[in-house]
Amino acid sequence: MTAEVRKYKIGLIIDDKRYEAIKGTPLEQKIERMFGGYIRLLTLEVDEETARHVLKEFPSGRIDARGFLEDLPVAFKRALFEAVVKTKSLGKEAIDEVFKKIDEIKAAAEKEKEYVPPPA
Amino acid sequence: MYYAGEIPPHGGGTLVYNVIDNIDKARQYWEIKTRIEIKPTLDPKGVPVRNVYREVMSIAYGFFTPLEGFMTQNEVESVLKERRLLSGWLFPYPIVFDVTEEEWKASGAKVGDEVLLTLKGKPLAVIKVEEFYKLPEDKKAFADAVFGTPERNKEVVRVPFDEKMPGWLIYRCLKSHAIAGRVWVVNPPKFREPYVRFWIPPAQSRAYIKAKGWRFVVAHQTRNVPHVGHEMLMRRALFVAGIGERPADAVLVNAIIGAKRRGDYVDEAILEGHEALSRGGGYYFHADRHIVTMTLWDMRYGNPLESILHGIIRQNMGCTHHMFGRDHAAVGDYYDPYATQYLWTRGLPSYGINEPPHLTDKGLKIRPVHMGELAFCPKCGEWTYLGIPLDVPEVKQLPLCGHKPERISGSFLRGLIIEGIKPPSVIMRPEVHDVIVKWWKVYGYPYVTDKYLKLKEEQLEVELP
Repeated sequence: MTAEVRKYKIGLIIDDKRYEAIKGTPLEQKIERMFGGYIRLLTLEVDEETARHVLKEFPSGRIDARGFLEDLPVAFKRALFEAVVKTKSLGKEAIDEVFKKIDEIKAAAEKEKEYVPPPA
Repeated sequence: MYYAGEIPPHGGGTLVYNVIDNIDKARQYWEIKTRIEIKPTLDPKGVPVRNVYREVMSIAYGFFTPLEGFMTQNEVESVLKERRLLSGWLFPYPIVFDVTEEEWKASGAKVGDEVLLTLKGKPLAVIKVEEFYKLPEDKKAFADAVFGTPERNKEVVRVPFDEKMPGWLIYRCLKSHAIAGRVWVVNPPKFREPYVRFWIPPAQSRAYIKAKGWRFVVAHQTRNVPHVGHEMLMRRALFVAGIGERPADAVLVNAIIGAKRRGDYVDEAILEGHEALSRGGGYYFHADRHIVTMTLWDMRYGNPLESILHGIIRQNMGCTHHMFGRDHAAVGDYYDPYATQYLWTRGLPSYGINEPPHLTDKGLKIRPVHMGELAFCPKCGEWTYLGIPLDVPEVKQLPLCGHKPERISGSFLRGLIIEGIKPPSVIMRPEVHDVIVKWWKVYGYPYVTDKYLKLKEEQLEVELP
């Protein structure tokens, strides 16, 4: 009997700007719509080891009741979206791409710790 | 059965009101030479995680009735053993006025003295010293005794507490000694905006309820700005709470104001966010069915234990019912998400509470309204019920509809907001989002940060004349 592998998720909100970046690509087909279509989301599934790695790098993060990694820095989400676009993948390739620049992302996250520009 | 505003205060006696309003009488106390300056509790990084002035205020204005002062060593032991005061009345947490030995010596105080407690150098309150004692040397063990451990409290504690749990950290960071004794506020402070609109202590809250003619009032605990899921929970609780006569009349929102964990919303946004539901353009609740109030308390995030304190506060404020949802007053995964429901349906014998708080002798009179989790069903186009997975194997927990409702988590919503995306109105009312952005512009960040905690400690919620 094999032990059940726990999977976690990271959600990327797709606003209009992000939507333009993936429009017409296979990623567009993977967009899920939530809350009656008001929210567009791309979801990456990650294994427990990756989830632990992300939470270790960003201790503010947590796993919510839905099994999503949340409370992650905006800088991480932004870099992850860029990696998804670059690798055209919602899999390990995108996560690996992010970890290549983890120090840079952590530095950006540190700057965003106490100031993020409010919406106009 | 009790009606709102007439329900007895906790403890079976009268509401505590240890406030000297007569300024001439109060001024006499300001001359007391034996003084101790109130200082914040700091975490290991030097960030303020508590200011005991909030406990002084909550005791003196009757929120913690029948507690009239800071606990003696025997009372702390009684609370830790069976969550009861020495008088036998249920109470969940040790309430201690901690000081260093140096502070005590420098004050020149002795047991039996009246000591003036100053805040930012100005008189706030007087404590009549009943005892000066040493708190346990091992503060980690003390904090564990307060909140529990997975070994000792198997019913509800899932993971050992640590520094990421703000309440645990407060007890872990207490100073070496404690002063016990009755307290009086001798210089009633002036609340700053926006707090002044929400400061409605128990005696006033009861008077307000009576003036409105409300007979059943459901209390809603909050440390969050409301999303529509919270609003739906309040509405449903209102319908459940009428004890067969009719639905309840109103919801009393009581926000906990004080130091919070990083990532929670700032206090000002919490209060005005709830206010926006019934006033200032929202009107999702009629203003005559909804009131927003506050209690000064640095949240301990103690899920079932916190629920007892919440029951006490809101009973003292005159509410007949208290709604409890999933993960009540919790942070992280330390407690079972339904630990509070477990307590209020069976008791928690491992904490010395053998019956539910409202069914035990010297317990509470306020009645629980248990809410499961709600989620948004895109097919039904409304919020629906997901069930309440307490361990009752014969009752299979299913969503109310046969579709696939979408769960919302506070952290998902926080992520949406910080990315600058305005949540759709099915999950957050635009008026509430406007309030978040208003305070985001003030602090440069919509959530609690170390900077906010330090600023909050500098300014506090009050000014002393």
